[in-house]
Amino acid sequence: MTTKPLSPIVPHPFESIVQRLSVGDGLLPESETNLLEVMGILESYGHVIRAYEINLRYIADQQFLVLFPFFKYMNGNVTWARLLQHWQHDRINYEFAEYCMKGMMYHGGGGLDAYLDTPEFIALANQAIGAKTSKNLLVRGFNTVSSDFLLEQVRQLCYYRVLGQFWDIMADLFFDLADRYHQGKITSIRDVIHFVKDGLVAAAAVPIYYSVDIEGESYEIIPKSVGLTFLVDAAIPYVESVFFRSLPFMGILSYNAQAQQLPAEQSEFVYGVLYADPIPAGSAGVPPSLLARDLIRHMPDYLLNHYRTFSRGETDLCVKSIISFQKSMFCVTSGTMIGLAPHSTDSIDPQDKAENRQHFTAWIDRLINSRSQLEIVQN
Amino acid sequence: MLLSALIVLPIVGAVGVGFLPLNGGQVKAAALTLASVLFGLTLVLMVQFDPTIAGLQFLENLPWLSELGLDYRLGVDGLSLLLVVLNGLLTLVAIYITEPTVTRPRFYYSLIFLLNSGVVGAFLAHNLLLFFLFYELELIPLYLLISIWGGARRGYAGTKFLIYTAISGILVLAGFLGLTWLSGSSSFDYNPALSQGLPIGPQLLLLGAIVVGFGIKIPLFPFHTWLPDAHVEASTPISVLLAGVLLKLGTYGLLRFGLGLFPEAWMIAAPWFASWAVVSVLFGALAAIAQTDMKKMVAYSSIGHMGFVLLAAAAATPVSMVGAMFQMVAHGLISGLLFVLVGLVYKKTGTRDITVLRGLLNPERGLPIVGSLMVLAVMASAGMPGMVGFISEFLIFRGSFAAYPVQTLLCLVGTGLTAVYFLLLVNNTFFGRLPPQFSDLPMMTWAERSPGLLLAVLIVVFGLSPGWMSRWTEVTTIALVRDFPTVKHQVFLQEASDSIPVQPL
Repeated sequence: MTTKPLSPIVPHPFESIVQRLSVGDGLLPESETNLLEVMGILESYGHVIRAYEINLRYIADQQFLVLFPFFKYMNGNVTWARLLQHWQHDRINYEFAEYCMKGMMYHGGGGLDAYLDTPEFIALANQAIGAKTSKNLLVRGFNTVSSDFLLEQVRQLCYYRVLGQFWDIMADLFFDLADRYHQGKITSIRDVIHFVKDGLVAAAAVPIYYSVDIEGESYEIIPKSVGLTFLVDAAIPYVESVFFRSLPFMGILSYNAQAQQLPAEQSEFVYGVLYADPIPAGSAGVPPSLLARDLIRHMPDYLLNHYRTFSRGETDLCVKSIISFQKSMFCVTSGTMIGLAPHSTDSIDPQDKAENRQHFTAWIDRLINSRSQLEIVQN
Repeated sequence: MLLSALIVLPIVGAVGVGFLPLNGGQVKAAALTLASVLFGLTLVLMVQFDPTIAGLQFLENLPWLSELGLDYRLGVDGLSLLLVVLNGLLTLVAIYITEPTVTRPRFYYSLIFLLNSGVVGAFLAHNLLLFFLFYELELIPLYLLISIWGGARRGYAGTKFLIYTAISGILVLAGFLGLTWLSGSSSFDYNPALSQGLPIGPQLLLLGAIVVGFGIKIPLFPFHTWLPDAHVEASTPISVLLAGVLLKLGTYGLLRFGLGLFPEAWMIAAPWFASWAVVSVLFGALAAIAQTDMKKMVAYSSIGHMGFVLLAAAAATPVSMVGAMFQMVAHGLISGLLFVLVGLVYKKTGTRDITVLRGLLNPERGLPIVGSLMVLAVMASAGMPGMVGFISEFLIFRGSFAAYPVQTLLCLVGTGLTAVYFLLLVNNTFFGRLPPQFSDLPMMTWAERSPGLLLAVLIVVFGLSPGWMSRWTEVTTIALVRDFPTVKHQVFLQEASDSIPVQPL
């Protein structure tokens, strides 16, 4: 057996973070405050993504090719009481889930992106489109003239479904994490990261699939036989799209494309959660604010009590919750990075360690950016 | 006795808070209580005041040093009533916004009450010497309030203020003495007929002394240089009083003792005064544009806005005179609000530099309510309709245009420039992204916001219903210019009366 010669180690600008990852710790430093914030926000986030995934799957399954889905956020329960609640904005901001879905669709990646361009998908989708529009001559005619329109709608519904399925599993994971925290079994940031990593690895092979019922008949859009799985085809594209890239115009800052404030390559986009500025610039209804409000809605008391003790108490909960959310997403990212590392972080083999180091520095290099929050969460 | 109570009670209060063994919190509570009572008394005065009478009301006349011509003669009319009420209101605001941690609190609150008493006395006095005594009396507490509780250069600013305003007092006194002696009167009682027998030359000379004297106090260009220094160094409550009330002593003096005592000379000099107003307005506005300190910017804006009062007084038409009174009260409310807000920004951020501040309207971590009130205040100051600043400026320009069209149009440019510098202020300070050094500002409480909210409400209420303010002053101000002797002026009067329904507004 031959081994490659080890190249000399050049200190990384975030060397301390690389060192932490190399031994299985995370991007976020260990501290009691960080643990409390991360656990509180992940518990809240569990409730939020549970609501999101229910709605995403409802839209994918029940609102299939409903071209004017006026009541898509009602989850099938359209009553005056619910509508009044909705109009008073006493509701979950499902729009944020859709922004994430569109981010995934925009950036693509993973097996799903590749599958959606295959003849197999087009054939299956057209079957479902034919069934759905069989009694609607107008839409049939429309589809004949512009045959890609409904197909693209089905592609989007696939992302609704996949993200819903992804969050379904993640919600269970975060609820389990919260239970273990309350049982005293999670006592450090490292515990959180490894719990997430283990959860992701355990669910890695869970199949991703999608079928719809039309007129009592089931139509497969993504059959299980395609072989899409949770980790590679949902989790990693999600992290890539939502944590790192996201959408150029959906952040809290607006970018001027004509002034070349947008990178030419999608892969160079840095608008994701890990870069987002938690201080809103005054505009209303932008995604981090939407998510923050949802997080506040389900915030556990122990986190709320913690927030009350510093800065501006309850008056800046949006900012505080987004900062904590970023911390928690750095933990989830750490879990993903460690899970995807070529070797176990427990390995003592220098070659393994060097390859792991290369793996981690490649990830962290993406976070060396003037807008990255990585440095900020270190303090 | 109500008028005397308004003068004596603050003095009693000053002695009380100064000598009673109270701690800081108790002193402030006592001061607030007394200021509320005083403000309440001014409201009682307002309710009992008959706005249909042009002359003095609540007259109090006690012989004092009659051989010197000094009598204790007090009265209130439409010219002074609103200023007395404004003084009561802003004293209450100033005490309310004073930090509980203020050093030497008993001395501080005593001086504020002495200041209050001096200002009220000056507004109510109808004996020239008595006015002068009160006019000088308010200098001492104000000098001490700047020099002891001011900023780093408080000594310089306080001394400059004292020298300038002492010269102002000397010139005013010289004018009063000259008028009384040359007219052969044995009394210093306020009497518009005194100047009638004098040749026009001495009249102009005496008017010049009085106008320059009050011009320093207003202040008008080029006698203004004490004001920005005083404002920058004074603490926020003192700036509120200085801009809101103290400057009004100058404009009040101009109307009461310049225009009121020397109508004939006034009409001759009025074109020059109108041109002087233009210079002052444009200088104040242009200087404000060049400032980077928020407080200095507001201070220079005061110089510009007080120039409008001189323009209105120079025109001396019924409409412009109502506008002048309106402007005095409006400026008191608006500049009071501006200084309260600038003070809050400084308190929370530690700076007033508009090149450093940014993004303070941020709803989560900034000062959104303060920012919103600031937008309202600058709109009011720039004369946006719906707020009190619009009413006063509209009346002044409408009333002055017939008499001095060129000067009025140039002053309108000054109003446009107000929008320029205040938009610069708001844009730089409140819009944009909150920088990291201000991303965790201390929390603002409703108690801190409430004085600003109160002033903002008044600005809007009187802007929407100006008659509620003008009704107190119209009859007096119109009477003041109806007696004007010149034929030319009568024409203006006729034109104005025919074309504009001045009563009710």
